[in-house]
Amino acid sequence: MATQSTTPLLEIAGLTRRFGGLTAVNGLSLTVGQGELVSIIGPNGAGKTTLFNLISGLDAPDAGFVTFEGRDVTGLSAERLAALGLARSFQHGRVFGNLSVLDNVLVGAHTRLRAVKPQIPLVGPLVELALALIRPPSVRAEEERLRAEATEIVRMFGERLTPRLDKPAHSLSYANRRRVEIARALALHPRLLLLDEPTAGMNPTETAEMLEIIRGLKARGLTILLIEHKLDLVMQLSDRVVVMDHGARIAEGPPAAVAGDPAVIEAYLGHKAVGAANQDTGQDANAAVPVRIAH
Amino acid sequence: MLPTTLGPWLDYTINGLVIGNIYALLAVGLALIFGVSHLINFAHGSVYMVGAYIGWLCVTKLNLPLPVTFVTVAAGCGLLGAVIERVGLRPLRNAPRIAPLLATIGLSVVLDQSAQLLFSPDPRALPTQLPTWRVAIGGGSIGALDLLIAGVGIGSAALLYGFLRFTKLGWAVRATALDRDAAQQCGVDVDKVNRTVFAIASALGGVSGLLVGMYYNTIDPNMGFQAGLKGIVAQLIGGVGNVPGAIAGSLLLGLIESYGIALFGTSYRNLFAFVALILILVLRPNGLFARARRLPPEPLTGTFIAPSRPLVLPKGAVWALAAAALALPLVVQQPYLLQTLGNAWLYALLALSLTLVAGTVGQVSLGHAGLLAIGAYASSLLALDAGVPVLLAVPLAGLVAAALGTALVYPAFRLRGHYVSIATLAVGEIVTLVILNWESLTRGPIGVTGIPPLSVAGKPLVSGQWVYWVPLAVLLAFAALQSRLLNSHLGRTLRAIREDDVAARSYGVDLNRYKGLAFAVAGFIAGVGGALMAHFYSYINHETFPAPVSMLALTMVILGGLGNVAGAVLGAAVLVGLPELFRAAAEYRMLIYGVVLLLLIRFRPQGLLGTV
Amino acid sequence: MLDLFLRSTALVAGTLSLLTALGVVQPAFSQPADPAKDPVVLGVSGPLTGQYAQYGAQWQRGFDLALEQVNAGGGIQGRPLRVQFEDSQSDPKQTVAIARKFVADGRIVAELGDFTSAASMAASPIYQNGGLVQFGFTNSHPDFTRGGDFVWSNALNQAEEMPVLADYAVTALGLKRVALLFINNDWGRTSKDLFAKAAKERGAEVVGAEGYLADEKDFRSALVRVRDTKPDGIVLVSYYADGAQITRQLREAGLTQPVVAAGSVYSPKFLELGGAAVEGVHTTTPFFPGDPRPEVQTFVKAYSAKYGLEPDAYSSRAYDALLLLATVIRQSGTDRTAVRDGLATVKDAPSVVYGTVRFDPQTRRVDKPLSTRLVVKNGGFALWEQAGRDPATAKAAN
Repeated sequence: MATQSTTPLLEIAGLTRRFGGLTAVNGLSLTVGQGELVSIIGPNGAGKTTLFNLISGLDAPDAGFVTFEGRDVTGLSAERLAALGLARSFQHGRVFGNLSVLDNVLVGAHTRLRAVKPQIPLVGPLVELALALIRPPSVRAEEERLRAEATEIVRMFGERLTPRLDKPAHSLSYANRRRVEIARALALHPRLLLLDEPTAGMNPTETAEMLEIIRGLKARGLTILLIEHKLDLVMQLSDRVVVMDHGARIAEGPPAAVAGDPAVIEAYLGHKAVGAANQDTGQDANAAVPVRIAH
Repeated sequence: MLPTTLGPWLDYTINGLVIGNIYALLAVGLALIFGVSHLINFAHGSVYMVGAYIGWLCVTKLNLPLPVTFVTVAAGCGLLGAVIERVGLRPLRNAPRIAPLLATIGLSVVLDQSAQLLFSPDPRALPTQLPTWRVAIGGGSIGALDLLIAGVGIGSAALLYGFLRFTKLGWAVRATALDRDAAQQCGVDVDKVNRTVFAIASALGGVSGLLVGMYYNTIDPNMGFQAGLKGIVAQLIGGVGNVPGAIAGSLLLGLIESYGIALFGTSYRNLFAFVALILILVLRPNGLFARARRLPPEPLTGTFIAPSRPLVLPKGAVWALAAAALALPLVVQQPYLLQTLGNAWLYALLALSLTLVAGTVGQVSLGHAGLLAIGAYASSLLALDAGVPVLLAVPLAGLVAAALGTALVYPAFRLRGHYVSIATLAVGEIVTLVILNWESLTRGPIGVTGIPPLSVAGKPLVSGQWVYWVPLAVLLAFAALQSRLLNSHLGRTLRAIREDDVAARSYGVDLNRYKGLAFAVAGFIAGVGGALMAHFYSYINHETFPAPVSMLALTMVILGGLGNVAGAVLGAAVLVGLPELFRAAAEYRMLIYGVVLLLLIRFRPQGLLGTV
Repeated sequence: MLDLFLRSTALVAGTLSLLTALGVVQPAFSQPADPAKDPVVLGVSGPLTGQYAQYGAQWQRGFDLALEQVNAGGGIQGRPLRVQFEDSQSDPKQTVAIARKFVADGRIVAELGDFTSAASMAASPIYQNGGLVQFGFTNSHPDFTRGGDFVWSNALNQAEEMPVLADYAVTALGLKRVALLFINNDWGRTSKDLFAKAAKERGAEVVGAEGYLADEKDFRSALVRVRDTKPDGIVLVSYYADGAQITRQLREAGLTQPVVAAGSVYSPKFLELGGAAVEGVHTTTPFFPGDPRPEVQTFVKAYSAKYGLEPDAYSSRAYDALLLLATVIRQSGTDRTAVRDGLATVKDAPSVVYGTVRFDPQTRRVDKPLSTRLVVKNGGFALWEQAGRDPATAKAAN
């Protein structure tokens, strides 16, 4: 399965993002077909997370374009992309700490709410407010349906998460937060799922469980773009692997072919550590230097 | 004097630079503290005031020579800064980021009140010992003190630069500023760095107080608030945490004000300053002198709110409490008690409104009194000038406050964290200043007199029972509505924005839409509250809802628990009630209030009922 | 220094004891069995803390001195006179609560205060509906006494004061082009309009008027505007601290025109804060310590003896207001309505500020206040002497 379909779901061409003197993503091109699972690997600082930020609309490229389902979405805002069916997880597990697990997942379904749909300025929000306060039967039924669905999604993660449905997310373990993130992404009914190191901080057992879950999602036909450092997981799951270094694509192909590519080995050896730390300086360049005392 | 029309403009320019020079003294210290602690230090103005009083003691009581006075003031205030850091702020290291901000407000109350008790509230003269020669420039003149102030400003910036660049501790300070955790892991004693920075900045703040006191030959215990505010504005214009930027921002602020006076008149001065601040925040959120294309220097993940397990009151208990509150006037007829509780309910409306934007959505507003003022003026003017019946004018005023409040804060929607607070503070000031200056509509400084009371069927509701019941009924209705809102999908959406706006956006949450919605609801509630106050007071002017009311509202919200509806009501009841309880303490009561606030932040930063 | 040390100790001790006594209710006044010995209580609502605390402190000095004198003279028909001073911070939400408290407290015979218009006038409906006299002795807002027939004021009426000031500036000093700086609040704004009208009637022109904010300290740029109107004199509608500041800065800016300031700058603090710069500033005051009238001399001597200070405008007003109410209560009794009626009929009550006081029962304000022309000379206020004119006739020119 997972052969390339006629039009790719996601197509990226010549994407470039510079931070001051640093070029975090450098003329990168990439396609992801319908139902495909593509992994992006590369040493720390290769620009993987920056790439995700560019695709998901949190950051805007300096050059190049992104098309989603044949439509140019370059520079479109994150909220618009979410409405188009793009969901992502974050490298460090950005859950809503004081919200319950269930509410976290329900926020994932935000774009599907009927009350959210009217986009007319002024009127739209007021209608939404009125629906929230009056809560006609249709709104209540929708909420009930979504709750049932969210509970169902959480069940996918079995005993680890289900008993904690009403617990605030800040009380969860690191691994559980990553699970909540994925559950939240699934509640969006995504057409494309971007997963940024979903197994970071997980032990081998937990990693194996996550592997099974991702495999299940893939089996359901979900298109997935994955950043991952754990190479055995990448080898088992991916239809295709893209290797990045210094913001550029240095290799691409089926997992086995890529693993033997000398350029890849050199890039990894040159950087010494493969997946040794969770830090990705692509992210760091993005995160603002908080302050300047003097210059 | 220059013969051309350029003459006055040269004078305005020089005057702007002279006053900017003074702002710079405070802005530099604030920038240093923000740089390292990411904290807008509201106590800095109070340290400045303390410096002025230490200087006054040295000059008038001990007759010390000027250099000794300088050293004493710097040492005294440096020590005070270190103590503030150690006692007031370090225990809050792991508290939510709003806690230290509030602690600095509490510290400033304690310092200002202590000074008032020790030195009496009267202003005092602080004579300068400098030579009194003046050099005429254009139509004005510059004296020795102007040069000394400029010298201290630039000199301290240069010294700081050298310290930060070339000393080991300076390196540690810069490392801490960049990444506190990483610095700690590398063996930097972050506590020591913080203490040092507070000491240096406070020493500088104290010397500023001394210099400015001499400059105006006047010091008083309340001199710090306004000065500190200007310093904060100046350093934001220059870019927070940027010492040279703070000096440039201060000079620019001075020029903006001076040209504002030149173009529009003296009473427009602060209006210009605050509008300029908003424009700069919106157009260049990192300040004019920051490098372009940088994300705001706030953490990308939401850590503004502490993890909390709120206390949930059982539904039955809430109903019982509401019923008991409604029945109270049947049992207790003491008008003073009823009036105090009535005031508490009115302020609870303000707290309810603020807890929605500051607590639920995480947009900590420091200008919320502006919404009260808009509601109060709208209702009064509708009733008096448009002949609208009071019962209709009050809800209409709510709508006006909702629309106007949202529109005014809208430019700040793109800001985050402390920047939102400063922008809303500026919006609050702008509301007051527009009320003062738009005479044809608001009657300017004269205020609105003869505002009719609320009345039903021609009977005015002015007795002790009605000033209790009317606000309580409105409060219960709004509290119920707000609880319903929080239980809907909007509740979780708004809270998601507070917890992590980046993640929320990635799930399709349009931040502007929901912030706008929250401010509109909040504006409506506060607007109705302000309108009710206006009809009870019968007279309002631009001083009826001053900036301290906004601070009080925020304290209520924090005390009750952010986003917590019951907490807002409780917070208002406690903070309106406490000063009345402390009445016996007369001039000590504000000091006690400050101490209680500090203890609360220290031991229960998530509020009495917890963050929802 | 010792004084400061004692106060610091008192501060710490006071705070500690109050914190431990938290929640303890204020001890009620003891109720002696004999009603003829019960104290007569006047309520005061005023700022003891907050940004206006300095004025509340000045009030308190005036009240305390007046109480001493009244009670030394036998009180009110043998009953001691007392003041219950409630700190309002001049915050309307607190003044309304205090008003309820006073109205409900049967011992309170009349109320004095509050300080700002916003705080005082918010409470007026409660005093009016409760039938307790609100005596706003510093409330000059033109609409203050319109709050009702229980709302009275002996504050200087600007409609009276500004023509007097205009007389001084235009008629006596001969100024023809006047620039005016006024504090932009209800008092300053009303005064500005009334002064402009009065000056015009006397043949002078107000060439510029700058309203400044209450907490302003820097006036350099405002003074450039003033300078460019080319005035031959500058009039200040200011309090003492801002008035001193403006005068300093205008002298530094090289403006040498005569300065005439409204009577509210009359305070020793004006001289202290203004230093050499205020030398030559003209002002009018209804109360002047050099006034030979015996009641003034008694007050000045007692005040200086008690506080070691010269009395200022606000402490003299407070002193005067309390003595006036004591006189009224002695004449009319302690019934609240009788106090109101007594104010309407009181004639020739001795007053430090006014000479004698008589209210216009329609406006509930004092008519015809005294006025003395002063000039700052050798670091002190002195009677202004026009060449060829006897200083005694300069007084009460209206």
